Amino acid sequence: DPEKYKFRTMRQKLIECSDVLDEQIELFTKFAKEHLNIPDTEFGDPTIQSQADVYAIGRIVPDSPQYDGFLNTESLAFETSRLNGIGRRIRLNLEQVEEVSLFCGQIALLKGKNANGDYFLVDKILDIPYPDFPLSSSDELSEYSDLLNKKSSKVIVTSGPYIPENNFDLSYLTKFVEKINIDIRPHILIMAGPFIDTTNSMVMSGNLPHFDNLKIQPTTLNELFVKLISPILKKINPSIQVILTPSTRDVMSTHASYPQESFDRKALQLPKNFKCFTNPSTFQLNETYFGNSNLDIFKDMKEVTKGGKTTMSNRFDRVAEHVLQQRRYYPQFPGSIKKMTIAKPKSEDSRSADSKIYKHISGADLEVAYLGLTEFVSNISPDIIIIPSELLPFARVVKNVIMINPGKFVKPNGANGTYAQISIKSPDVKDGSLTEIPGEESLYLHNVWKRSRVDVVTN
Amino acid sequence: SSGIHNLEPLETTISDMERFKDSAKFELNCPNCSHLFPFGGIIASNFYKMCYNGVQCKNCDHVFNMIQFTSQLESVIRSHISLYYAGWLYCDDSTCRNVTRQISVFGKRCLNDGCTGVMQFKYTDKQLYNQLLYFNSLFDMEKNKKQLLKPLYYEGDIDYPSEQLAESAILALTEQNRKLFEISQGVIDKYLDNCGRRYVDMGAIFDFMMN
Ligand SMILES: [Zn+2]
Ligand SMILES: [Zn+2]
Repeated sequence: DPEKYKFRTMRQKLIECSDVLDEQIELFTKFAKEHLNIPDTEFGDPTIQSQADVYAIGRIVPDSPQYDGFLNTESLAFETSRLNGIGRRIRLNLEQVEEVSLFCGQIALLKGKNANGDYFLVDKILDIPYPDFPLSSSDELSEYSDLLNKKSSKVIVTSGPYIPENNFDLSYLTKFVEKINIDIRPHILIMAGPFIDTTNSMVMSGNLPHFDNLKIQPTTLNELFVKLISPILKKINPSIQVILTPSTRDVMSTHASYPQESFDRKALQLPKNFKCFTNPSTFQLNETYFGNSNLDIFKDMKEVTKGGKTTMSNRFDRVAEHVLQQRRYYPQFPGSIKKMTIAKPKSEDSRSADSKIYKHISGADLEVAYLGLTEFVSNISPDIIIIPSELLPFARVVKNVIMINPGKFVKPNGANGTYAQISIKSPDVKDGSLTEIPGEESLYLHNVWKRSRVDVVTN
Repeated sequence: SSGIHNLEPLETTISDMERFKDSAKFELNCPNCSHLFPFGGIIASNFYKMCYNGVQCKNCDHVFNMIQFTSQLESVIRSHISLYYAGWLYCDDSTCRNVTRQISVFGKRCLNDGCTGVMQFKYTDKQLYNQLLYFNSLFDMEKNKKQLLKPLYYEGDIDYPSEQLAESAILALTEQNRKLFEISQGVIDKYLDNCGRRYVDMGAIFDFMMN
């Protein structure tokens, strides 16, 4: 419900944040008890000394509140809920576990023992079950298939930045729009921000040029969007549906926190084939469920890993598995921050000789009290999840979910970037590509991963 | 609500100097010569002067385009909002001084063993709101004309300006820069309109009148 994202920002209350952090643990406790056949009596408080093994659910946290950002298997602790362990934290001993992939903010289910009161000796890290997939009836599926005349649906995904760091060259965007209209002709074009990034170096330093092609120069960054970007986007053929999702660094958004309200289409001066979605958002194109989150968990997740199988596996796959298990698009807590060292302090105002002065640049900007809006809708896994990242573009199938990072549209130095092209074969209940779930009325798994092809294309 | 809380609207009567004592300066970068200097409205400064069409760098004489000025204002606002959302907390116990971004499931509890201090946001929503109001004051025509702005420099400061501005010059320059000021306030209003704190202040005023 997009209305829920329209809360007022810049008004965080500590107690509301901690309520949400507590509820996350309680939610998974309830959920683990329902889905895993572990009797209630075997769950316990890991922070109290006990001679018996217990199952415990909590949040992975650093063992010191002042940790310096580099964690390892010896520096993790486990936070309990208010109900289960009056919010106490206990150091984790992971010596006996062979394969480890943990990160701060993760809700984990552990089995182990606290024999001396000092630490919880972990015996096993249990997998939290993956969420269910959406289902459709055969009537619905044939309706979807007829809508597209049994042809494949074509979706294009792009992600900002669309402007390099050193000039306002918009030629890639201009050429791309031509290509979209003439060659590609997708059903849907999904464009993720940032369109104009408040942390772009030209924007930050005020190094904006005179725009020779404009009669009246823009006076604000909003006008810059309307005068430079909108005219290009308006040329997209009106029969193509365009979905815009904001980044918290987008100039055109006044809601600078995640979860984030959608852009205002009228303020962008864009026509009706443009739809503005929240960040994150879940939406359906025919039978296919899309999950779209514009916050870079692939870059930000700082895993602590151990074990041959874990370290040899693909990191993108591991992060994707964590996202699916946690059922939230950005499960890391606290969110990342980006800062820049600007100076060593004068000796008079420094507490220790080697402390530095940092300038805050940007961050995940989590609105903690509203993190509930970043959970998977109805506990269902989308068929396709799009999470733009600064890292290398990719498309991978993880636990039967297609995970896509379209990559940056242009590189910071102005070189051409990438976008993703998805083609989904029309659903046909007779061709065996869908899995039937028998019941009163037969329902089908979409198996979008079996019917799709994703290409990462260079601009 | 407590009696103290009801006094909140009286804040509107305190001077900008008091209200903005913790607010950060608005630092400008000259797009032509890369000199950095604080902007404090139409005041005397060794680094910039206001001319009839905007801010002029005293180092290289470059006059800022409107957007060269407003883009910096906007990105500075956004970095303040982002710093606020970084969610730094500190412990109010002076012997502990725990500074962290960790939040306990009991939000106010300090995570240092045995400490009974209370955790609070380092950058509060009130500070952020005041920061936005401070930026807003820099472009307030009346405050500029009457020189009611928070000063950037005090006598004895190394950068204390050598020359002062005449009152007639201030009045003329304020009028000449009306458009820049209105557009800059528009940029700030974009964020003030989304700022939860602003509505708390209004709510408190109504509470006060009802009581
Ligand atoms: Zn200059
Ligand atoms: Zn403390």
